[in-house]
Amino acid sequence: MEKLTKSQIDKAIALLKMPVDSKLVTHLNACVHCGLCAKSCMYYKVTKENKFIPARKVDLVASLYRRYCTLTGKVVPFLVNARELDEEMANEMIDMLFGGCTMCGRCVKHCSIGVDIAYVVHVGRRMLAAMGLVPESLQSTVDMALKTGNNMGIPTEDFVDTIQWMEEELMDEYGKEACIPLNEQGRKILYTLNPREPKFFPLSILAMAKIFFAAKESWTISTNMYDVTNYGLFNGDNEQAKQIAKRLHDEVIQMQSRLLVLGECGHGSRANRWEAPNYLSRPYEFGVVTVVELINEYIRGGRITLDKSLNQELVTIHDPCNLVRNGGLLSEIRFAVKHAVSDFVEMTPCGIDNFCCGGGGGQLSMSEYNERRLQSGKIKADQILATGAKVVITPCHNCVDQITQLNHTYKLGIKIKTIAEIVADALVINNTKNNEKKNNESDNKQYFQI
Amino acid sequence: MWWYQYLSLAALFVCISACIWHFFRLIRLGKPKELSEKSGSIMRAEVYSYTTAMLPAQKESAYLHIPTYVSGILFHIGTFICLFLFFVFFFVDPLVFRDWLILAMALLLISLFLIISIVCGLFLFFKRIVLKKIRTLSTLDDYLSNLLTTSFQLVTAFYLIFPEEAVIYYYILASILLLYLPVGKLRHVVYFFAARYQLGFFYGWRNSWPPKKQK
Repeated sequence: MEKLTKSQIDKAIALLKMPVDSKLVTHLNACVHCGLCAKSCMYYKVTKENKFIPARKVDLVASLYRRYCTLTGKVVPFLVNARELDEEMANEMIDMLFGGCTMCGRCVKHCSIGVDIAYVVHVGRRMLAAMGLVPESLQSTVDMALKTGNNMGIPTEDFVDTIQWMEEELMDEYGKEACIPLNEQGRKILYTLNPREPKFFPLSILAMAKIFFAAKESWTISTNMYDVTNYGLFNGDNEQAKQIAKRLHDEVIQMQSRLLVLGECGHGSRANRWEAPNYLSRPYEFGVVTVVELINEYIRGGRITLDKSLNQELVTIHDPCNLVRNGGLLSEIRFAVKHAVSDFVEMTPCGIDNFCCGGGGGQLSMSEYNERRLQSGKIKADQILATGAKVVITPCHNCVDQITQLNHTYKLGIKIKTIAEIVADALVINNTKNNEKKNNESDNKQYFQI
Repeated sequence: MWWYQYLSLAALFVCISACIWHFFRLIRLGKPKELSEKSGSIMRAEVYSYTTAMLPAQKESAYLHIPTYVSGILFHIGTFICLFLFFVFFFVDPLVFRDWLILAMALLLISLFLIISIVCGLFLFFKRIVLKKIRTLSTLDDYLSNLLTTSFQLVTAFYLIFPEEAVIYYYILASILLLYLPVGKLRHVVYFFAARYQLGFFYGWRNSWPPKKQK
């Protein structure tokens, strides 16, 4: 690493010196170094390396705070381990805060004090971003989103082709009235996707289109801005996060939609549901829900009918950290799944105690940490195996990607599905063409209608 | 009053002033600025944060580390008893307690509890030295904070039993502890409560706390 300039250091330290509220000061002063958080971190559990103890990650940032912002740290730095921000420190921060933490927040819940470790790690990432030290692989994902409008750089032509292909499939099944509306202004819903869907999992789009069709929903997708992800949440550059969030915000306004529906992406949902209004410094002028909540609304309101018997394999749920622990969707996810499958088992632990799959925090983008990512995923692989489930459901495409890789690495022999996919598999649509097909699939239907 | 009592009074004033400064700095900085649409109940989450979320069954830091957890709880109880007695002794001389059998017995019991608390403090201190995992995480401040607090408990126990002999050491040590409290990690006496508030706010806003019961 090149020698840090004074300007770089000043920019990073400014984030500590000028807190916007009491949150940062609180959490930087609260850790008592008890080390009891160690076993709550998947990285530490798998590697047993002390550097992964969450409190040490906090201390990387807190030691700088003490050095530059407290009297004790300035006068007697050796007493409180107040450290200078130099190249060695910066390297350590990059390795631990980007490469050794998914900001899943599991340690936060179990911290003896209540230090928001994930938040402090995020502040550390912001400091690194201010110094221009974001890992290149992660930064390129953000740059791609800023440059092309989606983080995978999918050309609009290719995207439209994929959507049209899925629309043909939909029409084959349900007739000409079933379609995937593109760029239609004034529709109630603007639906967003994780770009992994058009790129690798187009059947996810088809699944959601079936649900919209069954619910007779007024919806559209914008070819200009359909990307639900915002890797600005992970690279720590709030200005870039704001630009991405603004683009989606402006698209909802431009499309005259009343409801922004966030596709199945944990961090994307978090970024757009909880963080974006703060990035933009104003509340949304429209409604915003995750697709899981929307599907549940359809089930509760009787707008879609599900037949559990169409999903008979044993199913388990992987709770995405950003949707459950950090998003409050624990019950919502279970509501949808329990209405769509006949055999369900929980992982241990699950819900707000669940372990991260290892793909969060931008890890899937940072290829330099691939080995560590798959190693940390061993806990999730063991959890899945212990359930005996044949299908893992998770409403997050990053989790889908990571669990797919775990499936391959640890030979789990499972199928991985999103909520939309499992719900679409259980859909009963009063459509002759479709009913004939479903009748062949299941002789013993028990319709379940709310 | 003797000079060492004046000294401890001055230290107490500095300590309380500094803690108030820490507290009001947090108030001045304000609660988290949140512009997203609230989904849950902050009030219910705050209550959960300060109560159920702190129960041993809810935290791996407790149920996976029972000896450390119990030691920590006893050590903190011992510390708060000592701080309480410190205030009491400004108004009542411990020698007076000897005239009342029941009070003398109470002091004896407190002394016995403090011995247990001191053992817990020393256990935590040596654990920090012996276990590499925690040693690599520790600063000089961590050791000093523990030693000061444990010593204060020790000298309080002595003071309860031998008031005349221990009085000067008691007040001097109390002064050192009070002066050190706001600048070292002992200031978590303020920030612990603030951290619980912040967690309640964060998880309550997003409807993650209190956790939903699964049907």
